[in-house]
Amino acid sequence: MGSGFSLFHNDSSCYTNRDLLNRGLGDLPESCVALIVENLDPVEICRFSKLNRAFHGASWADFVWESKLPSDYRLILEKILGGFPEKLRKRDIYTFLSRVNSFDEGTKKAWVDKRTSDLCLCISAKGLSITGIDDRRYWSHIPTDDSRFSSVAYVQQIWWFEVDGEIDFPFPAGTYSVFFRLQLGKPDKRFGWKVCNTEQVHGWDIKPVRFQLWTEDGQHSSSQCMLTEPGNWSHYHAGDFVVGKSKRSSTKIKFSMTQIDCTHTKGGLCLDSVVVYPSSCKDRLRRN
Amino acid sequence: MIVLKSSDGETFEIEEAVALQSQTIAHMVEDDCVENGIPLANVTGEILAKIIEYCKKHVEGGGGSEEELKIWDKEFIENIDQSTLFNLILAANYLNIKTLLDLTCQRVADMIS
Repeated sequence: MGSGFSLFHNDSSCYTNRDLLNRGLGDLPESCVALIVENLDPVEICRFSKLNRAFHGASWADFVWESKLPSDYRLILEKILGGFPEKLRKRDIYTFLSRVNSFDEGTKKAWVDKRTSDLCLCISAKGLSITGIDDRRYWSHIPTDDSRFSSVAYVQQIWWFEVDGEIDFPFPAGTYSVFFRLQLGKPDKRFGWKVCNTEQVHGWDIKPVRFQLWTEDGQHSSSQCMLTEPGNWSHYHAGDFVVGKSKRSSTKIKFSMTQIDCTHTKGGLCLDSVVVYPSSCKDRLRRN
Repeated sequence: MIVLKSSDGETFEIEEAVALQSQTIAHMVEDDCVENGIPLANVTGEILAKIIEYCKKHVEGGGGSEEELKIWDKEFIENIDQSTLFNLILAANYLNIKTLLDLTCQRVADMIS
């Protein structure tokens, strides 16, 4: 971790007139400091901006943040904001993107990981096509803090379980993983405590559910798994897709989760959202 | 051959190819003002010697594989003290030697992070 640098506080007069020996970090001109901080991650850059004037100035240098912003950040901003704010400096743009921003009438959220600059996306249950969602015999929306969107979709009993979704977004090049965030059990409160009511959970141990993923450029994946661990929120992996560095600026993906074996009913399932994360996060998310 | 004069009066005679890795020197050569040697008022003899050592190794890709060059760079940068490191940054900035500047700045970034 940070070794102890001795800073020599000198005025900013031209260094040709001064003793060239015994230099410290504080003597470097802003342009050199900017080249140094470019090698740090965004969180560290902001931390070091408090060091001295040169670091503070360097931490605002546009070229430093240009290298941290995801590619196609203009398109991402346009998608989220509906326009591009011309007056913002690159560091401000990065700060904005690293916050969780809602768009599409609050049904979707997107943000950039502060350290790695990776793009993450989240689609609420209300942004998905759920078969039978309007039929109160089967589905309902339950307000809860368990969800980023403050509400989840709950199915008490159904024969034909199908959830479809799609998104068209300017994903930067890379590999992404799609997960469904689900819980077997209904969020409930008992005597003021948050509990998970698993009384209605049934039918998921008979046959597996099927996850599918398609991209516009022909990628397709399909998998099956049993839903397990009632009472906990889990991320179920629906598939991966690759965004290449091609000219196309926006990537459209479709995904689905189905259990349509109508010989048995299933229910007691809570659907919070579908998340799209860079594949590097895959292991962290599995079943957590 | 090109003659470089440090701020403390040392002179170094080096091959043009080595010197031309500095964009600043390259421009001076283009503008034809290198008759009596190039005075570098911002760089001491000690630092200039280090820079010349780096540039000699990096002439035309270093004569070895990319891996070997990386290993050499690593040893080069790890064997210098803080003060020399900062002076190298300033000198590489002044002389406009991009690869050396990148190497030294990356080193500082690694040290402070």
